[in-house]
Amino acid sequence: MTVDVESGMNRTTHVPAKKPIAPAIRRWRRLRSAAIVLATQAALLAVLLGFWDHMTANNKQAAFMFGSPSAIAGFLGQMVRDGSLWRDTYVTGLETLLGFLVGNFVGTVIGLSLWYSRFVSRVVEPFVIALGSIPIIALAPIIIIWFGTGLISKVAMSTLSVVIVALVTSYKGAVGVDTDQINLMRTLGASKFQIFRKLVVPASLTDIFAGLKLTVGFALIGAIVGEFMSSSEGLGHAIFKAGSLYIIPKVFAALVATIALALLLTFVVGRIERLLMPWRRIH
Amino acid sequence: MTGETNGVRVNQRAIAGTHVPAVPLVVEHVAKSYEVGGRVVPVIGDLSLTLDSGQIVSIVGPSGCGKTTLLNTFCGLLTPDSGRISWYGQEIAGQPQNVGYMLQKDLLLPWRTALANVMLGLEIRGAAASEAHDRSRAMLDQLGLHGFADHYPSTLSGGMRQRVALARTLVNEPAVLLLDEPFASLDFQNKLLIESDTAKLVRKGGRSLLLITHDIEEAVSLADRVIVLSKRPTQVKAVYEISLGIDRTDMMAARDSRDFSQYVRQIWADLDVVLQ
Repeated sequence: MTVDVESGMNRTTHVPAKKPIAPAIRRWRRLRSAAIVLATQAALLAVLLGFWDHMTANNKQAAFMFGSPSAIAGFLGQMVRDGSLWRDTYVTGLETLLGFLVGNFVGTVIGLSLWYSRFVSRVVEPFVIALGSIPIIALAPIIIIWFGTGLISKVAMSTLSVVIVALVTSYKGAVGVDTDQINLMRTLGASKFQIFRKLVVPASLTDIFAGLKLTVGFALIGAIVGEFMSSSEGLGHAIFKAGSLYIIPKVFAALVATIALALLLTFVVGRIERLLMPWRRIH
Repeated sequence: MTGETNGVRVNQRAIAGTHVPAVPLVVEHVAKSYEVGGRVVPVIGDLSLTLDSGQIVSIVGPSGCGKTTLLNTFCGLLTPDSGRISWYGQEIAGQPQNVGYMLQKDLLLPWRTALANVMLGLEIRGAAASEAHDRSRAMLDQLGLHGFADHYPSTLSGGMRQRVALARTLVNEPAVLLLDEPFASLDFQNKLLIESDTAKLVRKGGRSLLLITHDIEEAVSLADRVIVLSKRPTQVKAVYEISLGIDRTDMMAARDSRDFSQYVRQIWADLDVVLQ
């Protein structure tokens, strides 16, 4: 942000000139610090996996209970070869993505429109809190009865896990808009709709994207819980099946794919955020 | 030049002003209170003032005397408990037309470039995009921001941001400007420069300006008349007609003029009495 907005009213204070740093040096410094962070992360992961592998290498019982990195890698290779990894990841990915999109769309539209009426938002508040406090897994049996055991029921689970969070974060963003800014729009002659479209919606984008990042995980949980309840494919199905057969390394292998899916979705959301909010890139 | 006699004179003119539609702003006996925790706290006691066409009027007062409440009441963002506010001889509900409003916070929209921020008012009123574009660009150029039109606010300095905010206000060609400590957060040089630019643009365009400030030097150097407010519940404590006998768009010359420090000292004395 800018340097001197908050500087005092004392007339003798001057904004101290920042020492200019060459862009090349700055870029190099940024690159270097990113590399150090990445190296530390890799080292941490290597130590963790090494410890895990070492503890389970000569201990059959421990290997059975906790799996081992090499066994997990073996199962991953096998799942790649028989095509089940792609298939399961695709199925769960599709359920998650659809639930994520529908839930966020519905939640954000409702959350933002609640800005329009203080009355309506006060009326619906306890209902929103009540709905938000229901554990999604408790709804699973009903959802299977309503939507069957196929794709739709998982999307419904995923949507329900997302929608309240999206609603609350976007509403929070909308009502958090600076009153002075709204007053300024009013003195410029803006109608309520113009204030909504030109100020409230763009000002809420930061909160909306925070909600999007948060709900990637929730959408995935919804889809996987749905698959736990009844399914014939998907990562949740693979985890559930391997778990009930006590094949711990395979559970971890499917979990690795789940984590990769979550990271991919989060990365895509981050990219879209950067694309939609270009003013936040420059500092 | 004492406050009492001038206060009375202003009141009389305020009442006369309702019959002359050309007077931009007439405020008569306005009172406003807030309710804080079930207790009614009067903010504005009984306040009358007049802003004549083409005039710059500064309002100074002790901190917390409700200056911002006053301005928000003038431009229809708050409703007074009693009293009358007439814009061009008419009491209106809601926001007055043709009035520009600017605060200490620049309130630039971070997702809009400098140019798009300046265009906001024209866009809201449905001006043609190309016209809004050209006028906004010209206004930025006039305020010395040539070449910064496509910058986002986060990349501009505080002084530049405040200039963009001023451009956003002026591009709508308001007949009256209401400014609430617009330059308070700027360093001295920037403040003097932007004050001079404001004086030039206001006086050249024949606009009227009501400036709320806590900076006595700013008030005296810019204004034709300085109104000193009392502490809460706020009333007019004194009114000074400022005549410095120099070009009123040069803020440094104003400070060098013979009577400048005299005015400053007197107004300071008025505020000091209030502070006790």
